[in-house]
Amino acid sequence: MKIDLSFTLNGSPINTSVAVDRRLVDLLRDELDLTGTKIGCEEGECGACTVLVDGQAVNSCLFPAPEVDGKHVITIEGLGESDNRLSELQQAFVDQGGIQCGFCSPGMILSARALLNENPNPSQDEIREALGGNLCRCTGYVQIVDSIQTAAARENSDD
Amino acid sequence: MKCTVVGKRVERKDARAKVTGETIYPSDRSREGMLWVVAVRAAHPHARILSIDTERAAAAAGVVRVLTARDVPGENAFGIQFHDMPVLCSDRVRYLGDVVALVGAESRRAARQAAALVAVDYQPLALLTDPEQALDPATPALHPGGNILHEVHFHKGNISVGFQKSAVIVERSYQLPMMDHAFLETEAGLSYFDENDVLCVESCGQYIYRDRKQIASVLGLAEEKIRVSAEMVGGAFGGKDDITVQIQLALMTYVTGRPAKMVASREESIVAHSKRHPASMWFKTGASKSGKLMAVEARFLSDTGAYASLGGPVLNLMAEHAAGPYLVPHVKVDGHVVYTNNGFSGAFRGFGCTQACVGIESQMDLMARALRRDPLAFRQANVLHQGDAAGLGYEMKTAVGAEPTIRAARAGKLYRQRRRIKKDRTHVSPSLAPFIRRGVGVASQMQGLGLGVGIEDQAEVEVVLGPGGAVRVKVGTTEIGQGAYTAYAQMTAERLGVPLEQVEIVGADTGTCPDSGATTASRTTYAVGNAILLAIAKLEQRRSAWAAQGTGRENLSARANFTVPTQDRQLGDGLPHLLYSYGTHVVLVEVNTLTGEISVEAVEAYLDGGRVVSPLGFEGQSEGGIAQGIGYTLFEEVLLDRGRFLNTNFDTYILPSSKDVPTAIHTVPIEVMEKSGPLGAKGISETCTVGVAPAILNALEDAIGIRFVRLPVRAEDVILAREESPHES
Ligand code: FES
Ligand code: FES
Repeated sequence: MKIDLSFTLNGSPINTSVAVDRRLVDLLRDELDLTGTKIGCEEGECGACTVLVDGQAVNSCLFPAPEVDGKHVITIEGLGESDNRLSELQQAFVDQGGIQCGFCSPGMILSARALLNENPNPSQDEIREALGGNLCRCTGYVQIVDSIQTAAARENSDD
Repeated sequence: MKCTVVGKRVERKDARAKVTGETIYPSDRSREGMLWVVAVRAAHPHARILSIDTERAAAAAGVVRVLTARDVPGENAFGIQFHDMPVLCSDRVRYLGDVVALVGAESRRAARQAAALVAVDYQPLALLTDPEQALDPATPALHPGGNILHEVHFHKGNISVGFQKSAVIVERSYQLPMMDHAFLETEAGLSYFDENDVLCVESCGQYIYRDRKQIASVLGLAEEKIRVSAEMVGGAFGGKDDITVQIQLALMTYVTGRPAKMVASREESIVAHSKRHPASMWFKTGASKSGKLMAVEARFLSDTGAYASLGGPVLNLMAEHAAGPYLVPHVKVDGHVVYTNNGFSGAFRGFGCTQACVGIESQMDLMARALRRDPLAFRQANVLHQGDAAGLGYEMKTAVGAEPTIRAARAGKLYRQRRRIKKDRTHVSPSLAPFIRRGVGVASQMQGLGLGVGIEDQAEVEVVLGPGGAVRVKVGTTEIGQGAYTAYAQMTAERLGVPLEQVEIVGADTGTCPDSGATTASRTTYAVGNAILLAIAKLEQRRSAWAAQGTGRENLSARANFTVPTQDRQLGDGLPHLLYSYGTHVVLVEVNTLTGEISVEAVEAYLDGGRVVSPLGFEGQSEGGIAQGIGYTLFEEVLLDRGRFLNTNFDTYILPSSKDVPTAIHTVPIEVMEKSGPLGAKGISETCTVGVAPAILNALEDAIGIRFVRLPVRAEDVILAREESPHES
C-alpha cells in the first residue's frame, strides 16, 4: 500500500508517494538518488545512514519513510553552502583528516551537525558521547573529534 | 633532500568529494535495467549436495534467472593462490558462505524472496572444527591434498644449545581469535556490457588485474573482453583481497545480458568473506643472565577454514616474524595451517605478523620481568641492526629502524614518567580510586613490505603531461581509504615541481590504467611511488631531448614499471622480505578491578616507514591501526558454534567506538630513510597496528599482575582471572 508524502528535503519541497513499509534510507538512495547516505548494518548500530529529521540525527535505516511527512530532512548533499562551498563543518573534516575511506563520513558529519546545533561548544567527551552510535573502522576517531572541535571553534568565531 | 610538497600536511585528494556525498562507492552504483543479485548460500557448514531445485525460485514474481553450477561456462573455481573455491557449488559445501545458486531479479526484495525458494537437498557430513583434529591423518579430508594446507619448519643455530645458555626461560601458549575486517562498506558492485560488448565490473577488489584474470577464466572469455574497476572503496584491510562479488556479478550479466547489482548485507558479509586467521601459538624463549636473547622456539597452528586463500603465506609471515626485530642466535619455528569448516581466513592488515607479535612481545616482557630489566632497555640491547642476521638467518640488507623507534619510545613522556602516571588518580573520584589500577606496556615490531621472494611484485604506472601544466597519473591500485592517491600526487608534484592541485590521479580501472599490482602488503607507497618517479625521469629525458632539438610538445606521456626488490634466497612462498617497516608502541591502560573494565588511556606510536609523505595520513593510519589493535585485544571475536556464525552484525560483533579509543594518541615519525624508496619512503599501514595487542597485554600485567594469553580480554576475563589468583592485588 502506498501513501502520499510531502516533506522538505535539503530545503526543497518533495511530494511523492511511498509504500508504508519503506525505510527512509531506501526512499533517499533508491528513489531520490541521493546516495550520499550510506548503509553499513541496517540495524541501527553503525550510524552510516544518519540524516537529520527536524534537526535530530536519526538512523534512516530504521526510520519509516512515511514519518517524514511534514518534516525537514537534511542529508549530506544538503549540508554545503549555496555557492558550492563547503560548510565550516565539512571543511574542518577536510582540513583535519577526519576522512579516510569516507564511508562513515556523511553519517559522522550529520551527527556532528546535530550536536553542534544543540551545543555549539562541546567538550572532547561530549563529542565522543554524541558519536557513540557512529562507527568508523579507518580513523580511530581522533581526527574526527579534532575536525568537530575545529568546526565548533570556527563557527563560534564567525558569529 | 628537502621536499616542499612531500612531508606537508596537505588536503587529501579525495576529501572534498567525500564530505559532500559525491563520491560514488561500489554500493552506490546503478544502471538502467539492472537486476539485483542475491546469493543462495550453504545451509550447512559441511554437506554433500544431493540435488538443487530452482524451479519454484525461477517461477517467482520478478525473477529473471536462477544460476547454478551448470551455468558456469569456464572453470568453476577461483582463489588467489589456488583455485579451490567453487564459484557455484554442485556437489559439496564446506562453509556457510559457499554459494549454491545466484538469483537475478527485478528488485532486491524479489531476489531475496526467491533465494529462499531454492530447494537444496543436503546430506550433512562430519564437521571438522578443531584444528588439532585436522592434523590427524585419520580425519576425513576436506580437500584432495588432505587437511594440512601448508607447514613450515625452520631452524637457525641449535635450539637446545640456546636454552642451555639461557639463565631465564619462559614458556607460554597463546590463543588468538578469528577477527572480521568490518570494513564499513560491505562487498558490492555493478556489472554490465558496454557499447563495445565489453563486460564491465565496477567493484570493490584490492587487485583489479587479478580479478579480471579470474573472471575471464570462469567465463571462458578473453581478458580484453572484460573491464574491472575499483576506484573508491569503503574500506578493505585485506578482506577484499579475495574475490567477493565480482565473479557472481559478471556471471549474471554474462548469462542474462542485463546489468546486475549486488550489495551484501552485513550478516552475509561476516559469514562470507575471509577473516584474520585464528591461531594457537606456543613459545619458549630464553635469555642469558646478562640479558642477551639466546633462543626463540615457536610452534604455530593456524586455522584457514574451508579454503586456502592466503593461509600458506600468512603462516610463512608468522614464521618470518616469530623472533621479532631481534638478534637471536638460536631459533626454531614449526607451524601448520589446516583446513576446517570454520568459515575461511585470508589476508588481514598485519598478515601473520599480528599473530606472531602477540607471542614474541609477550615473551620479551616476561623475560625482562624475570631478569628484572627495563623492558625497553632489554629490547634495545637485543635489537636487529642493518647487516645482522634476522630470525630465520638471512641478512637484514636494507635500512632497519627498529632501534631508533625503541630509543625514541624510551625518551617519550609516557615511558619516562610511567611510575608517576601509574599512581595518578586525580582523574577519578575518591570513592573509586582504590579500585583503579594503571599500567604501562610496550611492544616493538617489524613488518615485511611487499609480497616477498617468489611472488611477482611489480607496479606499472603512466604519467601524462597535458596542456596548461596538468598532470595525470594513471595507477591500477585502489583507494580503499588509506590515502595512497594523495601520497602519489604529492610525490608527483614534488618531482615535477608543479602545484599539487595540478596533479590528478586516475585510478583502478583496467580500461584506462596499467597494472600496478595489488593494494596490499604495505607496498603501494613504495612500489607505485617508485614507478611514478621512474616514469617522470623518462618524461624529463624526452623533454630535454626535444628542447635540445628546439621543438616542444604539450602532450607527453610515459609508462614505467618498477619491480620490488627481494632477497636472493627463497625460503618459502613470499618468504623472506628485503624491506620492513618498524615500530614501537607504548600504551597506558586503566583497569577497574570492581567491574573488570579495561580502558586504553593513552598510546604513543613510534613508527618507521622511511620518509613520511603525508603527515595527516600517517597520523590517521596510526590512529586507525591503534583502534583496530584495541578491537583485536579487547572486543572482537567472530564466534562459531559447529561451523555456524553466532555474531554477524554490529550488535554482537563489537567494534571499538569513539568512547573506546583514547584522545591521547601521539604518533611520532621515525624517518629512517630507505635508499631504494621513493624519496626515502616505505609505508606503515600494517606496522601501525601490529604491536598494539601485545603492548596492551603487557600493560595489563603491569597494572594488575595478570598475564593474559588469550584474546580478546574482556571485563569478565579480568574478574575471573583475579578470582583465580587472589594473591594479586
Ligand atoms: S545502516 Fe543504519 S545504523 Fe547502520
Ligand atoms: S573513514 Fe572509513 S569507516 Fe570511517
